[in-house]
Amino acid sequence: MSATRIHGIVLAGVGGQGILSMAQILLEALRRSGLHALQSEIHGMSQRGGSVQAQVCYADTPLTSPLIEEGGADLLIALEPLEALRYVSMLRISGHLVTAEDPVADMEGYPPLEDVHRALRAVRGAHLLDTESLARKLAHKQAGGMAILGLASRFLSVPEAIWREVIAQRFEPKGARIVEKNLEAFSAGRQLLPDGVEA
Amino acid sequence: MNQSTLALGVEAVGCAAFDAGIKGAFGYPGTPSTEGFEHVEAMIHAAGPDRVAQWASNEKVAFDLALGTSYTGHRALVTMKHVGLNVAMDAYANAALTGVQGGLVVLVADDPGMHSSQNEQDSRKLAEFAWLPCLEPSTVQEAYDFTIRAFALSEALQVPVMVRLVTRLAHCRAPFQRQETLPPTGVGQVPGDRVQDWVLIPSNARRRYVDLLAKQPRMRAAAAEFNRLVPGTARRGVAAAGLGRAYFTQLILEYPELAALPRLEVAAYPLDPATEEAFLAQVDEVLVFEEDYPVLEERLGVRGRARVRGRLDGAVPRTGELSPRVLKDALGLAALDHRTAPALDLPVRAPRFCEGCGHVDAYEAVQEALRAIGAPGARVFGDIGCYTLAAQEPLSAIHGVVEMGASISLAVGAALAGQKPAVAVIGDSTFAHSGLPALLTAVESGADVTVVILDNRVVGMTGQQPSQALDQVERLVLGLGVPASQVQVLTPLPSKHAENVAATEAALRASGTSVLVFRRECIQSLRRGVLKEHDRELRERQACPTCAPEVQP
Repeated sequence: MSATRIHGIVLAGVGGQGILSMAQILLEALRRSGLHALQSEIHGMSQRGGSVQAQVCYADTPLTSPLIEEGGADLLIALEPLEALRYVSMLRISGHLVTAEDPVADMEGYPPLEDVHRALRAVRGAHLLDTESLARKLAHKQAGGMAILGLASRFLSVPEAIWREVIAQRFEPKGARIVEKNLEAFSAGRQLLPDGVEA
Repeated sequence: MNQSTLALGVEAVGCAAFDAGIKGAFGYPGTPSTEGFEHVEAMIHAAGPDRVAQWASNEKVAFDLALGTSYTGHRALVTMKHVGLNVAMDAYANAALTGVQGGLVVLVADDPGMHSSQNEQDSRKLAEFAWLPCLEPSTVQEAYDFTIRAFALSEALQVPVMVRLVTRLAHCRAPFQRQETLPPTGVGQVPGDRVQDWVLIPSNARRRYVDLLAKQPRMRAAAAEFNRLVPGTARRGVAAAGLGRAYFTQLILEYPELAALPRLEVAAYPLDPATEEAFLAQVDEVLVFEEDYPVLEERLGVRGRARVRGRLDGAVPRTGELSPRVLKDALGLAALDHRTAPALDLPVRAPRFCEGCGHVDAYEAVQEALRAIGAPGARVFGDIGCYTLAAQEPLSAIHGVVEMGASISLAVGAALAGQKPAVAVIGDSTFAHSGLPALLTAVESGADVTVVILDNRVVGMTGQQPSQALDQVERLVLGLGVPASQVQVLTPLPSKHAENVAATEAALRASGTSVLVFRRECIQSLRRGVLKEHDRELRERQACPTCAPEVQP
């Protein structure tokens, strides 16, 4: 019996940014790609503006552990740069980091932003995205999260059609225009990397 | 209906209860159990009028609602978090003696690591204490399957059956397969010749206790069907339950050599000594992986057949939740290589009050009033809810938080011992949960206490469920004997700060029990429109001359 390769994804952000929603999209997309996936999340007090983290793990056989360990993440997706830094040690040596540059800095002792960005850029293969500018460009205030997911999707072996299908279904209750805006943001993020860098 | 559904572990329990044909679901919100009730509630509401879902004012009330439903011969689910079972313990322990008519399943969600709780107690111990069976799933699919089986087991053994989850399973999202949904038909109410079983006067209770103990061998046999002995070639073995079982099962995928370890996989209690003996005969040393207390570890340890290692000898940390890493360390497996970020001091991003939350305005008024009466350092007793956040900086406005409803009695106890002023801060839902009897005693005691009720109209922290005290806090307060002259209703807004401070100051100077109700809807529920429909109906009824006198708070 040979060892099973288990893939891990860590999602990090601040309560209210939509981390849990993004984790659910990921879980569904992986599942529709024929993979066995689990997602772990923490509810309760942490949702009141605190740090929020979710994890997704997947493999080609059924899994039972909802948690991954330090060094078990192939991908770290963050919606806030300080929160990204907290979880860098979750990454495998070969892991990838995709994070928003824009801080949620309404807290005591937030380090100078340039220090946070410098620390993140020092992580080999890190991708920092200026989500605010992108949101302005797309005239879509909430575009950041979907663009981050689009960029991160380049490191996952889920076909683009499945991503689009899952995102469309997720936002369907909010109307066709919202679906379209989110698909547009996802594509914008996905196209930020040149072809040929996929995992 | 044999389709795959994505849900949280705790939701899978709710879904299974629905599919098992329950007539009623009951509960009190508490992380990480809340979504179990909410899930089945949504299914019940979508299915029409044949079933009921009802939040209760507390866990004991919820349990008794479920037991009453069971009395009629229908199946019922009751949900709570681990510390909620303490509140329901009187009902739970005595329902073991009455037994059940319709199947009764108790979903209890433990919180190892205390993500959102005040302790790390282990509900398996309480099941053992009450001589009742407990099933412990390790995956979302098992959460569903075990709940279905729990109803059958409950009816076969005629006792309540606990399904114990922990946070990581309760909030693990995964696909699972459903079974066919049974209709909510019952088996008929407790028959006439069994009515005495339900009347726990001593003569009946003595007989029923003997009956309960006589059921133990059948409980052990039923539990044994869930538990599994997996042989191996090594002399070192693993005993694992719940998430310990889930983590170890997955580690075998990553480290196939672990399959050589004999293992005892535990998924149900009470444990069968024969299974334990059979396992221990195969090993010289055992590592035990279980969440919370060393339940299995102690049981295996006392047999003296092998060296048993776990939380008691430090092989596993004595407190906190399990994780794959904890198991690997205990098994002597190397940690993974990982990235490191350049050193930078990362401040903690603690949870805090939402922007614009009325609790903050209320606390600021209380603090300023305390300063105004010359008692800026007065100790204030707090309670359980979002408003507990005021214990931390910058507010540091409460100085004691113990359990649901404690604030009022703590303040009365302190007042009776001479503390002045004595102030309690409690939310509206916590007040309904267990503040009511405390306020009655406060009035009766004659102590000088000020009770601040933060009425945000919902159970805020757990997701804005309806508060049982909605629109009736003042009526409850008056009904418990607080004089109308000592009850004030205030609006916690910055623009009302001066008048709120003055009112609070007057309350602090009053003799006997004074009550301040700070009422402003939770901004999260306001944003979601949780009470929109309720308030529209309320306005209509208040505008109606016939019913208006009855609906005025």
